Amino acid sequence: MKEAMNLSLRLALICAVAALALSQVASFTAEPIAAAEYAAKMEAVIAVLPAHDNAPGVDAVDLDARTYYPAMKDGEVVGWAFRGVTQLGYSGEIEVMIGVDAAGAIEGMRILRHAETPGLGSNYAEPAMLADFFGGKTLVATDWRMSKDGGDIDAVTGATVTGRALADAVQNALKQFTEDLPRLAAGEVDA
Amino acid sequence: MSLSSIFSKGIWKENPVLRLMLGLCPVLAVTTSVENGLGMGLASTFVLLMSNLIVSLLRNFIPKKVRIPAYIVVIASFVTVVDLVMHGFFYELHKSLGLFIPLIVVNCIILGRAEAFASRNSVLHSLADGLGMGLGFTLSLMVLGGLREVLGSGTLLGWPIMGPNFPPFLVMILPPGAFLGLGFLLAGMNKLEERRAIRAGEAYEPPAEMDCGNCVLCKLDADR
Repeated sequence: MKEAMNLSLRLALICAVAALALSQVASFTAEPIAAAEYAAKMEAVIAVLPAHDNAPGVDAVDLDARTYYPAMKDGEVVGWAFRGVTQLGYSGEIEVMIGVDAAGAIEGMRILRHAETPGLGSNYAEPAMLADFFGGKTLVATDWRMSKDGGDIDAVTGATVTGRALADAVQNALKQFTEDLPRLAAGEVDA
Repeated sequence: MSLSSIFSKGIWKENPVLRLMLGLCPVLAVTTSVENGLGMGLASTFVLLMSNLIVSLLRNFIPKKVRIPAYIVVIASFVTVVDLVMHGFFYELHKSLGLFIPLIVVNCIILGRAEAFASRNSVLHSLADGLGMGLGFTLSLMVLGGLREVLGSGTLLGWPIMGPNFPPFLVMILPPGAFLGLGFLLAGMNKLEERRAIRAGEAYEPPAEMDCGNCVLCKLDADR
């Protein structure tokens, strides 16, 4: 009994010290982590939007649980950036940032997060590759199937699954955006 | 044993990966490039150094019967520190190593050194051991990462070095390439050691650790 007490006490003491130290480190790093996450996201937002003279991060609009980043030039909205997510990736979830111009055609795209096979599915992460496959596509005028299934979306050789997943993410995000657009345009945006 | 020989044994003679066959999970998983190998190696070295330090400092305080949970708490704490600091200050590296950082906790090199060395040696010796083992681990990861990056992507540290007509052996950066690469490295290391032994006129036996029944973790109690 006495031994058990001794063992538990010492182990508890070690755990308590560790917990205390970790809480310090966690509060010290919380701000840099949030800043780094935000910077990475904003970098993608800026990259996918058309030329603009506002700060999309500051003008961001939250609609339900979704965030829309407007691009404005001379007070006019010239494009939007928003997030798309799909579960259909070859290995897990893929998250993308999509930018459209005022007409709703895809202006740019970046992959925020993926776990696809290096050298195959991961090739889609090249911005030039994404621009090639998805640039200029619109919700209605595009057949969102892969070109080998008779659609309009090209795929990297040997990585059709990832291509399908990306098409799914983009199509769903565009649908949602089209639904939300009237509310966005109704003036919830400040220049 | 002198401080310098404690330090240097981890780099060649008792290299944790190539001689002791420890920590092979991260070795196989992250070595798709030199940069990933270096990042993982340095992160593990930091954890190893700090856990050796703390375990050595507390070696008379930690009761034998609960030593393994105590070591794991110490190791897991430092891994969490590395994870948080890397997330905040080295975002890109954290993104590419991502999943594997928390797994440093179960890297048996670290628990192995705490058990086999730090728990029964002075602070200074434990630090030298941690640093040597950590660097040996880092070097192995970088060599394997380099081999796989050059053959699998045709680049070294991100620079194309194999010319535009080089068709990359994709398999080398996929999981099977890790096993292939490590196999060749182990064979090469054995060959070098065998030649050294013959020159010195000794009989050569491959390291017993190549047989998993000899893993330190299986012998934790036998040591005591």
